[in-house]
Amino acid sequence: MSGGVDSSVAAAALVEQGYDVIGATMKLFCYGESVPDRPCCSLDSINDARTVCQTLGIPHYVINLEDRFSRHVIRDFVEQYSQGRTPIPCVRCNSFTKFRDLLTHADALECDFLATGHYAVAREGRLYRGADPAKDQSYFLWGIDRGVVARMLTPVGTLTKAETRAHARRLGLVTAEKPESVEICFVPDGDYVTVLEQHLPADAPALTPGPLVTTSGAVIGQHEGFARFTIGQRKGLPGGSSEPRYVVQIRPESREVVIGGLDDLLGHGVRLEQVNWLADPLGPGDACLVQVRHRAPAVPATILDRDSTSLTLALASPIRAITPGQSGVLFAEDGQVHGGGVIC
Amino acid sequence: MPTARVYLDHAATTPVRPEVLEAMLPYLGAERFGNPSSAHWFGRDARAGLEQARGEVALALEVEPPEVVFTSGGTEADNLAILGAGLAARTSLRPMLAAVATTEHKAVLAGAHAVHALGGQERTIPVGRGGLLELDALENVLDHRPAVVSVMWVNNETGVIQPIAEVASRCADRKVLFHTDMVQALGKIRATLAGLPIGLATISGHKLGAPKGIGALIVRKGVVLEPIIHGGGQQLGIRPGTENIAGAVALGRAVTLAVAEQAAEGQRLERLRNRLAERLRAAIPDLVVAGEDAPRAPHVLNLLVPGADSGTMLMHLDVAGVAASSGSACTTGAVEPSHVLVAMGLRRDLALGAIRFSLGKETTEADVDRAAGVLPEVVARSRRVSEVLGG
Repeated sequence: MSGGVDSSVAAAALVEQGYDVIGATMKLFCYGESVPDRPCCSLDSINDARTVCQTLGIPHYVINLEDRFSRHVIRDFVEQYSQGRTPIPCVRCNSFTKFRDLLTHADALECDFLATGHYAVAREGRLYRGADPAKDQSYFLWGIDRGVVARMLTPVGTLTKAETRAHARRLGLVTAEKPESVEICFVPDGDYVTVLEQHLPADAPALTPGPLVTTSGAVIGQHEGFARFTIGQRKGLPGGSSEPRYVVQIRPESREVVIGGLDDLLGHGVRLEQVNWLADPLGPGDACLVQVRHRAPAVPATILDRDSTSLTLALASPIRAITPGQSGVLFAEDGQVHGGGVIC
Repeated sequence: MPTARVYLDHAATTPVRPEVLEAMLPYLGAERFGNPSSAHWFGRDARAGLEQARGEVALALEVEPPEVVFTSGGTEADNLAILGAGLAARTSLRPMLAAVATTEHKAVLAGAHAVHALGGQERTIPVGRGGLLELDALENVLDHRPAVVSVMWVNNETGVIQPIAEVASRCADRKVLFHTDMVQALGKIRATLAGLPIGLATISGHKLGAPKGIGALIVRKGVVLEPIIHGGGQQLGIRPGTENIAGAVALGRAVTLAVAEQAAEGQRLERLRNRLAERLRAAIPDLVVAGEDAPRAPHVLNLLVPGADSGTMLMHLDVAGVAASSGSACTTGAVEPSHVLVAMGLRRDLALGAIRFSLGKETTEADVDRAAGVLPEVVARSRRVSEVLGG
């Protein structure tokens, strides 16, 4: 329970359905370093989760997974940016922290299920898109163990956000009107570069100046560190060109950030690594839909080849800004999540 | 959910005793609700209750009634002692220096930080491995002529009893004002201020069967404190504000009862605590008792469980219906090991596996047996989780 409205309503729905529910908030990083003598438990989000559990009459515990989160999520986040990629820490958190480490605690408590406020639907051991297309979060869940899906409860997955809020209001939950959090939880104000600066040495290549080059190799300026860029980005590039210019590639070994036009962003294929299946694995020749970014549409693709940890997809029609580090998630026509991997 | 819950967290707080509730109730209702500063009948009636309560506290601690200053609780009393003495030093020739033991309650430590923040200084006095104050270090600190030295009588996390008479007399020898937080000592060990050169002492109501929101600072005659809140002239101006009469009456009654019962109750608690410790030691052979080699108050048992995690154990104990704590309740939810255990030089991994059981008035043999029965499985589960997640 993050202290947001979705997990609050998820807990409430299960209490109403008669489950014996334990509320848990993962403590994932220290908010308190700049606030000595004040324990982190006074933080608003944890208090909100606690208050909701009080309203529901269920116990609430703060489970400390700081070390694990730091190792599997924050460290990877920093490493990925160092390699010129654009990671999604929420995917790592779901795969490693929430649906694995937290599950270890749930097992010790002899819990049968692990419930979540995700907008996705777990049904009979299979995972599907959430009912609200504007809120669907199944994209972030491809990396969890297939066996865990059978133990997942997703009470808000079949609701729209408006319905979730209506439930929260009906139940008088303090989180009913809480605004959506769109930030990465450990990146305050969306300033991820500051987080990188805290974790990387001052002379880390990712944060030191390098050349801005065109697709034909001409140096047109300098940038302040390639970690500040992502594929498809327009902000922070020199102006003066008649056509809009985008970051089309990041080359960490030479610290080059490559600038090009819209056409240079188009990709015809996707290669995935760290592949994980939530259904029986697809093989060469199989068709599916692939989604390469949160909120991007899933597009038709065919699997070209695959081994135990990676696969290559041919896209039926090219798509823009396929970004290393983001997730490529394979869906069936009916919204079932087949599996996914990290774009490389 | 188990039907019966066992409460072994009395060092955090206690239920209000029926005798205490009965004594305080008239001061909440239409009968004796008056403001003790008022000149009319209602005021006089309230004042009579207030002064009787002050007298009861004074009698129990063997001090004079005007030396009892009611506060909102232990934290305020600690703050008033440290900050009040620190601020008063500005108008004397003493340095504005607060010196406190490293194992103090946060209310004292933060009070010393506040003295520092207001332009003064703070120093800490270390404890040895057993948790007892380093007397040589105390002497060194006394060389700096602090405005106040604060050492708690009984530690709230470990139950370790400091040699308060010795510490107080060393301070007195150097003409340094001495404060002790005796919140966990009162009613648990023989602890009065008679004949001891203790200038300031903190007590709290809710640790001994009075409600939360009442405590007192004993301010011995001749001790000069600067008030930390300002208002009317109540309580000689040291702690202005309309007095919490019902709370004061409750405190008077609770302190009287606790001191009267201390000898017998102390023996009873010690027997129960030892029973708990012995059973757990038999079941969990590598258990360490914090402060084991020091004299300890009879109501606290702080266990260090190698390979287990405080938070996980507390969660499982709660699920099993046993309420305990990992130390001071104020730090629950934070991940840092207890500052008290760290100050005692305990290994971080041991300190992270601390569980505090604290016994009280209504604790029975069945209660401690229940805890002793439940803890081994809780420890096993926590260790399993730590094995999976710790590597």
